[in-house]
Amino acid sequence: MIDGTLLMMLVVALVVSFAILGVFIWGAKGGQFDDGEKMMGGLLFDSTEDLNDARKKEQKKMNAKKEQKKSKLDK
Amino acid sequence: MSKIKCDHCHLEYDEDIMIKDDSLHFCCKGCQGVYHLLKDDGLDSFYEKLGNKTIAPPLTTDNDVEKFDTKSFEDNFIKTTDEGFSRIDLIIEGIHCAACVWLNEKVLYDTDGIVEANINFSTNKAKIVWDEDKIKLSEIILKIRSIGYNAYAYDATIADEKATKSKRDFFIRMMVAVFATMNIMMLSVAKYTGFFTGISEQVRNYIHLGEFILATPVLFYSGWIFYKGAYYGLKNCILNMDFLVSSGATFSYIYSLYVLFGGKGESYFDSVAMIITFVLVGKYLEVIGKKSAVDTLDKIKSSIPLEAIIIEDNIKKVLPINSVKVGDIVELKAGEKASFDGALESSSASFDESSISGESLPIDKQKGSKIFSGTINCEKVIRYKVLKSYEDSTLNSIVTLLEDSLSSKPKIEHKANEISKGFSVLILSLAILTFVVWYYFGIDLGFDYEGAEHFEKSFIVAISVIVIACPCALALATPIASLIGISELAKNGLLFKEAKYIETLATADTLVMDKTGTITKGKLKVKKAKILDDNTHKLNLLYTLLDSSNHPISNSVKEYMKNNFSLESKDLFDIKSIDGQGVVAKYKNIDGKVFNILGGNMKLLKTYNIDYKFESKNSIYIFVVDSKVIATFELEDEIKEGAKEFISNIKKLGLDVVMLTGDNNATAKNVASNVGIKNYISEVDPIEKAQFIQDLKNKDKNVIMVGDGINDSVALAKSDVSIAMGSSADIALSVSDIVLLDNSLNSLELAFTLSKRTYKFIKQNLFISLVYNAITIPLAMAGYVIPLVAALSMSLSSLIVVANSMRIKLKK
Repeated sequence: MIDGTLLMMLVVALVVSFAILGVFIWGAKGGQFDDGEKMMGGLLFDSTEDLNDARKKEQKKMNAKKEQKKSKLDK
Repeated sequence: MSKIKCDHCHLEYDEDIMIKDDSLHFCCKGCQGVYHLLKDDGLDSFYEKLGNKTIAPPLTTDNDVEKFDTKSFEDNFIKTTDEGFSRIDLIIEGIHCAACVWLNEKVLYDTDGIVEANINFSTNKAKIVWDEDKIKLSEIILKIRSIGYNAYAYDATIADEKATKSKRDFFIRMMVAVFATMNIMMLSVAKYTGFFTGISEQVRNYIHLGEFILATPVLFYSGWIFYKGAYYGLKNCILNMDFLVSSGATFSYIYSLYVLFGGKGESYFDSVAMIITFVLVGKYLEVIGKKSAVDTLDKIKSSIPLEAIIIEDNIKKVLPINSVKVGDIVELKAGEKASFDGALESSSASFDESSISGESLPIDKQKGSKIFSGTINCEKVIRYKVLKSYEDSTLNSIVTLLEDSLSSKPKIEHKANEISKGFSVLILSLAILTFVVWYYFGIDLGFDYEGAEHFEKSFIVAISVIVIACPCALALATPIASLIGISELAKNGLLFKEAKYIETLATADTLVMDKTGTITKGKLKVKKAKILDDNTHKLNLLYTLLDSSNHPISNSVKEYMKNNFSLESKDLFDIKSIDGQGVVAKYKNIDGKVFNILGGNMKLLKTYNIDYKFESKNSIYIFVVDSKVIATFELEDEIKEGAKEFISNIKKLGLDVVMLTGDNNATAKNVASNVGIKNYISEVDPIEKAQFIQDLKNKDKNVIMVGDGINDSVALAKSDVSIAMGSSADIALSVSDIVLLDNSLNSLELAFTLSKRTYKFIKQNLFISLVYNAITIPLAMAGYVIPLVAALSMSLSSLIVVANSMRIKLKK
């Protein structure tokens, strides 16, 4: 009985930690950790406005790419 | 007078020289402009982010943005992305803190037409992608300048992009390994505690299962690099360190799998993960080192002007530097860098050649004198004739040489590979031998098979040989001692870029030193001053005259006067500076009488027909009022404190000391005899310096080079170990292996003694791990090592090695 509980805890712990590792790799592949100093400095800029800016940046990039694709297709 | 902070750059200045703007204070118009711009655009949270940090005041740059829209610039630097956007790589000047990065990125993103702007804080490199239809590059550059920064283009090579990618890849692999190893360690604690306090077979199997899940990605994902390395080694018929690590880990892994599913014995998943992780971290540090060297090279390249102004039939033409031909006449503005080697066409000029010769004084040139690429035109607009194309120029050849030497370096790595090759071969043959003996002759020799299958037992014993020999202690012996040695050195301001330099430093036999900045302070100082007329009024005139010039001699004399007298400025007029001679000016006193005053060297006195005799080996400065000499100064480059003791101590350690300098023979001889150096070579250029090092190396010497300038950088890169002074040029720092933060010779000596000490412990560690292997391998071959003992003894041997290394910290 106790052994069964242990096994369950082990599995849950492994699943959760691998999920976190996955998120980390996702971020690293996107280049978030390329520049250690910038990352450490950037940690301090976490106001709502900063977070909104970050989202805006992503959106702007995506929109621009979409538009470009469209205009290419039109041509 | 109270000091007050500028509201933009946060640098402190006297209150009365600040620009007042309501309740705000600014040190310059630039700061004021940027402050209001940020305020108006709602970007003032920049100051919040900046906190108490200071930044550089904005630079005043000339209006040369049109060049960014030229065809030649586009061909050289602008690339097109897959989506059809334009892309450029820039180096942004003036970035000091995370807030600067934030501001630049924010402003660029808020600009219409810019798709992506990503700035790297550590390297100041920026990648900008924009839509050519909506905005021009010159407008983007202007935007960056408007907030007080400046941008240069650099040629991001494919190699550079690859380096970034491989660094990222390595980082992820390493983090996966670190993550898994940390978790395995926690499971191991439970397992080993269970061994002593009792643990059920089933729980132990659960733990083995967990370890298996965690160790698998470490071996096959993170450890993939070792398999690859081993494969390439095998292809070239070399059994390298990678092979040893990967084979040891793989066999331990296979054995552990057998334990996991066979249900008997101890697993080694923890050892597998640990070995891979440790070696991987070491390799990652190496990758970072290489990447940062590439970054510094790019910074140097970006400051080379990309186009030149050519004079053809009295018409100015702008050409990219690659299409300038030999024989063209090039015009150079004051403060600009020459891109070509050539001969001066203007009647006279003054050049800062510190990048080539290392000497800090501007060199005066007459018509026909040689101009070197990379040197800076100090005073006025000049013209010169191109003698060599850009590809053959001195500057370009230095950059190329550096690139070459960065890609080929160590001799020691080779040695380590030799050793591990021998070790791998030995262990593998021992394991095979063990298997053969157990399988074919075991029964005849009466070996104890403990009731197991004949083949199975033979196989397990053979694997236990490999497992126990798996270079845990051996692999730790050097890195742990080096790590502790390096941290000890770092505490004393000695930064080693890689651990292996400890060994080279400890075994070196020749020390080559640059003169300026290494043995001497590289700064002129007034050595002898004779004030022939100490009328305060006249000394005030002298002070004012000195203040009007920016020449290093003037600055040194000014500093001397400031320290010894209390002086004030007067109003001079008709101030004229004469190249390579000095400054002349006029002064009118209250009665309306006009004095002619001049200050400079003997040449100046000759020009003005003043008869005065003065002889000295050193640089001199003479001050004259109305043809009467008021004061004379002799200036000399000071030898660093303790230089003589340092040289004699180094000689006691058994090293030959050689001094190299671009300076003239008389000065070199003087300095060398003062500090007790017998061998010195004077009047050498950067390439000759490097050649000299190469010659020494060809004679099988282990050469250490100490230097500080760009002129030393090629020689630094060529030597076995290169040491740079902390105040050195960026490029010298990047190619050097060791950096001395405090510039003192004492710490250089400490670098030698501490390295020797660390090296002694490395040898001890190797000895310990070899003794360990010598005892355990025969035991394993005889089948006496039960898996648990193997696991414990492996950790124990590692612990002994670590504990021994800690002794480096104990002071004698």
